[in-house]
Amino acid sequence: MDELDAIIHQPARLQIMAALCQLKPLSQVDFTFLKTKLNLTDGNLGAHLLTLEEKGYIAVEKTFVARRPKTFVSATAAGRHAFDAHAAALKAILKAK
Amino acid sequence: MNISPEEAARALGEIEASRAAMRTTVRGYRGHYMLWLWGGLWVVAALLVEFEGLHSLLIFRNWLMPAGIIVTFLIMLFQGTKIRSPVNKRFLGVLAIIVIFAFIWPFVLRGRATARSDFAYGALMAMFCYIVAGIWFDCYLLWIGLLISALILAGLFFFPAFFWWSVVLSGGTLVGTGFYVRYFWR
Repeated sequence: MDELDAIIHQPARLQIMAALCQLKPLSQVDFTFLKTKLNLTDGNLGAHLLTLEEKGYIAVEKTFVARRPKTFVSATAAGRHAFDAHAAALKAILKAK
Repeated sequence: MNISPEEAARALGEIEASRAAMRTTVRGYRGHYMLWLWGGLWVVAALLVEFEGLHSLLIFRNWLMPAGIIVTFLIMLFQGTKIRSPVNKRFLGVLAIIVIFAFIWPFVLRGRATARSDFAYGALMAMFCYIVAGIWFDCYLLWIGLLISALILAGLFFFPAFFWWSVVLSGGTLVGTGFYVRYFWR
């Protein structure tokens, strides 16, 4: 049976993982765009991304687009797997109610 | 880690809300702009040949196609600022090979071409690229490519008004698919 993941369960990180896992594998989303979509602040999103990156759930790529620095974020295979397992565990809790 | 069913329900609700917000965005990245653009250009090319003759395809090759390629790059550039996928160099290599062979074959087979077969050849080559892309990326382009290729061949061999057939069923299918993937695909 799948277990809950304490890292992913935090509400903001749950939102981030849900959003990233909605994209195709290897697809990356712009930091600013993600921040707007999830209604988070720069600092808040940055801190949560760091936690998820340290755990190996997301990959962060810093690059330049039209000479401007851009940060792109994507879910890793491990992150997708962990998120799916977490969502399955949540559903199992509801089912067992 | 233990949580109550109420907390689990709330977390699942948050997941769904986040997914829904992203789904709206992803809907804009299904390739419908390309289908509208190239389907529209296909319709224009077929109408040009129907009313002005095969030589009018030069307008398509010299002006409309380069403009289409520029607009395609602009769309990719604009969309890539929000969501982007890594460029697959191996796939681009395969596409380049198809395009090179597509230019070589008419010279090898010279002498047998008619306005209809010339047009059908170009259209089939484009659909060949769609099929390869569909197989490569496991997406709907495979089925569009197969369907339109079959329609092109049916029109070429069995339908006298081939260019009208092409306007409605080939270019029209691309444009229609663009609307479908944008507005109705879940």
